Amino acid sequence: MTFRQFAFNNVLRNKRLYIAYFLSSMFTVMVFFTFAIFAFHPAFSDGAINQNALFGMLAAGGIIYVFSFFFVLYSMSAFLQSRKKEFGLLMMLGATNKQIRLMVFLENILIGFFATVGGILTGLVFAKAILLVAENVLIISESLNFYFPTFAIVITFISFMFLFFCISIFVSFILRTNKLIDLIKGDKKSKGEPKSSRILSVLAALLLIAGYGTALYVEGTQVVFALIPVIVLVTLGTYLLFTQLSVYIIRRLKSNTSIFWKKTNMLLFSDLSFRMKDNARTFFMVAIISTVAFSAIGALYGFQSYLDKQIKESTPYNIEYMPWRDDTKEIIDQDISKVNAILEEENISAKMESIELNYFEMPELDREVLVVRASDYNRLAAMVNERLLHPMENEAIVAENSDTQLAMDSKASEVLMASSVEIGTGQEIKPSHVVNSFVLINDGYYVVDDAFYEQLGTPVREDMSAVWKADEGQSERLIKAGRKLNEQVEHRVYAIDYTVYEINKAYGPILFIGLFIGIVFFVSAGSFLYFRLFSDLDEEKRKFRSIAKIGLTQKELKRVVNWQIIILFFSPIVIALIHGGIALSALSRMFDYNLAVESSLVLGSFAVIQIIYFLVVRFFYVKQVKRMVF
Amino acid sequence: MLKLTKVSKIYEGKVAYRALTDIDLEIEKGEFVAIMGPSGSGKTTLLNIVSTNDTPTTGEVTIEGEKPHKLKKNALAKFRRNELGFIFQDFNLMHTLTVEENIVLPLTLDGTRVREMKEKVHKIAKSLGISTIMKKRTYEISGGQAQRVAIARAMIHDPKLLLADEPTGNLDSKASNDVMKMLVAINEAEKTSLLMVTHDAQAASYSDRVIFIRDGKLYSEIHRGESRQAFFQKIIDMLSLMGGDGNDLSSVRV
Ligand SMILES: Nc1ncnc2c1ncn2[C@@H]1O[C@H](COP(=O)(O)OP(=O)(O)OP(=O)(O)O)[C@@H](O)[C@H]1O
Ligand SMILES: [Mg+2]
Repeated sequence: MTFRQFAFNNVLRNKRLYIAYFLSSMFTVMVFFTFAIFAFHPAFSDGAINQNALFGMLAAGGIIYVFSFFFVLYSMSAFLQSRKKEFGLLMMLGATNKQIRLMVFLENILIGFFATVGGILTGLVFAKAILLVAENVLIISESLNFYFPTFAIVITFISFMFLFFCISIFVSFILRTNKLIDLIKGDKKSKGEPKSSRILSVLAALLLIAGYGTALYVEGTQVVFALIPVIVLVTLGTYLLFTQLSVYIIRRLKSNTSIFWKKTNMLLFSDLSFRMKDNARTFFMVAIISTVAFSAIGALYGFQSYLDKQIKESTPYNIEYMPWRDDTKEIIDQDISKVNAILEEENISAKMESIELNYFEMPELDREVLVVRASDYNRLAAMVNERLLHPMENEAIVAENSDTQLAMDSKASEVLMASSVEIGTGQEIKPSHVVNSFVLINDGYYVVDDAFYEQLGTPVREDMSAVWKADEGQSERLIKAGRKLNEQVEHRVYAIDYTVYEINKAYGPILFIGLFIGIVFFVSAGSFLYFRLFSDLDEEKRKFRSIAKIGLTQKELKRVVNWQIIILFFSPIVIALIHGGIALSALSRMFDYNLAVESSLVLGSFAVIQIIYFLVVRFFYVKQVKRMVF
Repeated sequence: MLKLTKVSKIYEGKVAYRALTDIDLEIEKGEFVAIMGPSGSGKTTLLNIVSTNDTPTTGEVTIEGEKPHKLKKNALAKFRRNELGFIFQDFNLMHTLTVEENIVLPLTLDGTRVREMKEKVHKIAKSLGISTIMKKRTYEISGGQAQRVAIARAMIHDPKLLLADEPTGNLDSKASNDVMKMLVAINEAEKTSLLMVTHDAQAASYSDRVIFIRDGKLYSEIHRGESRQAFFQKIIDMLSLMGGDGNDLSSVRV
């Protein structure tokens, strides 16, 4: 038997040991491959999607690849850790260092090869499944169909064979530095307790506070400038939080005998402090990638709802008609009857109102301002169930549509409130108050009593507008009509339902990709935790068995295991949720648009998913441990 | 206080194996009994059954009037923790804990007050001569020290019955004698009953009575007379009568 055959057989015979490592590698490949399927989708390469989204995807691909590297490296080192004894034994029996390294190298290449192939195959299935879901949830229509991803296969295969090759070399180098005695002691004992420094622990807290503080303090465009520094602060802070502060806290807890010596705490904390070193890196990665996932999905979702709401709420009508400045009365009448004809064609029942919009010179402002008769205003307001306005004989009310404004502008209402309205007799009237109203799309205008209006003199500019409000439940027909209107009465007609539909359609793939990336990140974070947990399973079983011999009730066992898994599963996710929440709140202050609902929805669903995941994993884990112990 | 009636153990497997046959055994309160026998004769099996880590196929075990094998799992865990003390051959210490923490572990699980634990651990460490290593971790101490730590842990809750599987297996004869003297001292001072499996005739000679097992059956038993030296000689004789000499036996373990 040659040594190569020996290495080959070694893998086949030690199946159980290798399977965990194999599966985690395969999973990584699958994630990357599924991503590649979308990234290299023909729909994107022909320019249907904008450059920024493409760049974002490339960046995400890069991040996934880097994380794959670490993930494979970690699972491999956990795998090798459990086999150190075997190597030590082989060496004692006379195998040379070179032979062992060759063996590990061949093994890894072998596993890597099958993991890559397996990952590609499962990835194909996974991608198909995701597309099925996506088609039913988002408006993507024909644009993202399933295709045979030759290029993605090639890219994935080459990338991962390269990755496994590098890691194999890397690992066989690491092995060289180990002394025989270390190998034979193997997984046992001598692993020291991780240290922590008080200064770095304090620094961790300071960094996080500074990062959070800044993120919560800045507003508007400042957010953009604060972005990078805050990310750096928080990332560093998170790293130190897990590697230093958490270890520090646990050590403090351990040195306090009245806590540490209480019931099962000793079992829980002693392990925790030892695992923390391994866990810290996992926690850090999980927290960061989950934060990215939460923020990306939250931002995309928030942005979509922002756009939708912007359009839908800025105007309560279904169709608006606004002529151009030099349009004659004939053109306007012709257009309006065309709109009515199309609505009739599509069998849509709708009410129509038109309104004169006259602009007047204001003495204190160097611009013309719209003034509207209360009766006109109320006609439209009644149609869409807005509150009616009844100004006094010599009162002017400022109305504004605040949702159409960006936070960066100074508010129109402030300017109008500061000004006053001049009546023909020279009398000046101060506006009384501001109302927020959707009735007109215009930024800000005065609503005055009809009698008051007559005294205003001649307007500097005359304009008009017509609006249609359809009865509920005709949105499909409205979209169809909107398409026709857009073609036939171009530029002057604004069909809201159709516009929203078009935006969602264009936005669908981007949202989908964002969701997909977010979910991939979140799932890989989850699998990180999962493998972390199960790589320590054997040692856990041994430990609990030896304690059970002295007498450990099932309840106590359950409590310890429960807390262990809770800490493992929730400490990084809770941190990520806080990070994500703060990121989204900064975002909402940037657009001055309340994202509370969207954020809580996104973060809440992730929290729920994580809880379900936790319950499932705990069920199997406890079952496994119990079966071995009792 | 401990009573075995017609205890048999059959290991089910591809081939069922009868490891113990109709063992009858009674141990008085405060008695110190050693079990000896050739390798594979069923000593560890017997001890595991008494320690409730294994169940007899037939027969009954009674400890202080209680039938532990009839207890529910949780009650059994509490029973072990309160009534029994174990000294395992491989010590069974937790390497993530310090020596002191290892010793108090059974007490912490029971929710004893910290002050009380401190007092107890201090007292027992002093009597076993391990006060200086209390803050060390388990891999930083020698085999003999670890053995004493294991004894301390087994004793800390004043068990009624102390079970030891080859407690001197890893020790040289000096350390072995120290450990045995300690066990005898505890046995006498606390009136703790002691059941010990050993291959070491020297260690066995500290007991009040030695029971010999062969092929899963009681072979014979001898009581300690006036002198330990004579007792030791009788044990050696019995061992060679059973087959195999002392040296041969002392090199085998679980
Ligand atoms: N779990 C098991 N399944 C099947 N047979 C077992 C099992 N454990 C022990 N045996 C068998 O039962 C017999 C008694 O084993 P036991 O461990 O009690 O011996 P022992 O007297 O302690 O031996 P030693 O002195 O070598 O420790 C042996 O023949 C052994 O092969
Ligand atoms: Mg044995």
